[in-house]
Amino acid sequence: MQPVKNLYGRIFIHLTLWIFVLYNSVPFFWTFLQSLKTKRQANSRTPLFWFEPTFENYSELWLKKVPENFTVIICILIFILIALFIFSLIGEKLSLSSLLIRLTIFGTIAMILFSIPIFVKTAEFYDYFVNTMIVGFGTVIVSIGIASLSGYALSRYLGIAGVILIILALAFRSLPRMAFGLPYFWMGQISGLYDSNFLVIIALAAVNQPFAIYMLRSFFKEIPREIEEAAMVDGASRFEAFIKVIIPIMWPGIITTSLFTLVLVYHEFLLVRILTLKNWTLAVAMQQYLGGISDSGSLPLKSAAAVSAALPLLIIILFYQKNLIKGITAGSVKG
Amino acid sequence: MLSLMIVPLGLAVFIGLHRVSYSTFKNPVFIGLSNYSEVLKDPSFWDAVLWNLLIILVVVPAHIILAFIAALLLDQVTGRIRGFYLAAMLLPMIVVPVIGTIVFRQLFDPSGLISWFFRVVLDERIIFNETSMKLLILIHSTWISTPFALAIFFAGLQMVPRDLIDSASIDGANRIQQVRHIVIPQLRSLFLLNAILAVMDLLRLFDNVFVLTRMNPIFHSDTMQTHLYRIAVTVKRLGKANAGAVLTVIIIMLVLIPFLIYMYREQMEER
Repeated sequence: MQPVKNLYGRIFIHLTLWIFVLYNSVPFFWTFLQSLKTKRQANSRTPLFWFEPTFENYSELWLKKVPENFTVIICILIFILIALFIFSLIGEKLSLSSLLIRLTIFGTIAMILFSIPIFVKTAEFYDYFVNTMIVGFGTVIVSIGIASLSGYALSRYLGIAGVILIILALAFRSLPRMAFGLPYFWMGQISGLYDSNFLVIIALAAVNQPFAIYMLRSFFKEIPREIEEAAMVDGASRFEAFIKVIIPIMWPGIITTSLFTLVLVYHEFLLVRILTLKNWTLAVAMQQYLGGISDSGSLPLKSAAAVSAALPLLIIILFYQKNLIKGITAGSVKG
Repeated sequence: MLSLMIVPLGLAVFIGLHRVSYSTFKNPVFIGLSNYSEVLKDPSFWDAVLWNLLIILVVVPAHIILAFIAALLLDQVTGRIRGFYLAAMLLPMIVVPVIGTIVFRQLFDPSGLISWFFRVVLDERIIFNETSMKLLILIHSTWISTPFALAIFFAGLQMVPRDLIDSASIDGANRIQQVRHIVIPQLRSLFLLNAILAVMDLLRLFDNVFVLTRMNPIFHSDTMQTHLYRIAVTVKRLGKANAGAVLTVIIIMLVLIPFLIYMYREQMEER
């Protein structure tokens, strides 16, 4: 539609949009403020907007005790991160293969994650964070591995069975978590895998499979058949054509789908709650801050936990923002 | 290659068939269909089903209307500020639902913003009882499901052909008529898609209710999922909960059949 020109009209539009923005973001903003307050300030009956921020809640949440050389460690961490960032910039110029760059960055970050507890006494919250990362990336790898093969097959095989399968995949998306969780709980108890990250990864991969397949299929559909036919004429088998020709073209689509899977896994609550006793992910770890009906004591701590659990995903999303928007467009509009 | 897809689906079906008659998982006792009949006779199960359907009836239209209005307005804005608006509006979608709910609930705690507002402006205190809790669940579900619908509508609005609207405005159609007769028919499939996705998500609503009510039975606001969770975890009747899960699957499929048939037709046409 062509834009409204009239001044009052524009003021009206912006005002309404601001109302929507407030409606959507005020709760988060409020929680962020709460997390920087002391207990007394957080519980005051008239809300405080101006106060001296304190980071006590965060350190209480993440660390068992604050180490003496805290600033040094923070400096080293920041230095490593900056070095990584510069490396990623230079790497493109030096025409190193992008896979190598990504592998180094992910490898270093993983090493940092695992080595922090050696130097600093971290609290349980950190374990939950590491758990979430393991489960998140594990599930993404497993489910994308299976889904890219089957999504490819479904995009090429247009028989009636293919249509029925894709409908089934959509229907499975809506299945209740209880129907998955309880059988997996039972299997876990039988096989002794209960409370392990492995079982959680398998269960989450199974649950998120249909969505990944559906989304990847719509990406695969955009690739013309002629490309892999050309590869096959040149003597490649169907599988070789898939690995060597299709996957490199599909890389952006695969990244987008992985991102969505990661978000869904990160959001998963009920399934992980059923399948674990102590090896929680962040979303499940949040429940210990729910408390009873009236738990005013730990308000700022609760807010700090909410903020710190939400931030990692927000940062990842910020990095891949364009893929997210593209995914919504591709997955929905083109269907 | 197709077998690679059938295997995970088949696994799920296989498990689905096997969960029927184990009352305890260490030494399962076969008790036939009595679990099922027990669930079906349980009035609180039907309460949960009805409440769940009510949530769908209220939230689906509400969030679609809100999202559509926001998307239309957002389409009017250009430049950097549009990105800011979009990012701020998508927040509830990206942040983990459990956290989103905790954050939302905090506003209504005695020290929260909204309860302060109620005290100062209306001179009333917010008391959580059955009615207000149910209202809160409805508001919250709308709040949390709006952003995704908004993103889809917004993406769709970019694809409405310009010349259609231009010719309509030359013919003297005002804005409301343009939206009514051109934009809405063009985006019809997106309205349906949003409705399907929202129905699917609301049918397995759990996180929000779990956090908002803190599983306190005085609110009587169990959805199907929290009801089953209560049976499985609080009452520790795994067999009965499994039977209930199978029944909810059947109910969900019954609700979804019209949508699925529509999808099937569309896919067949596309082929």
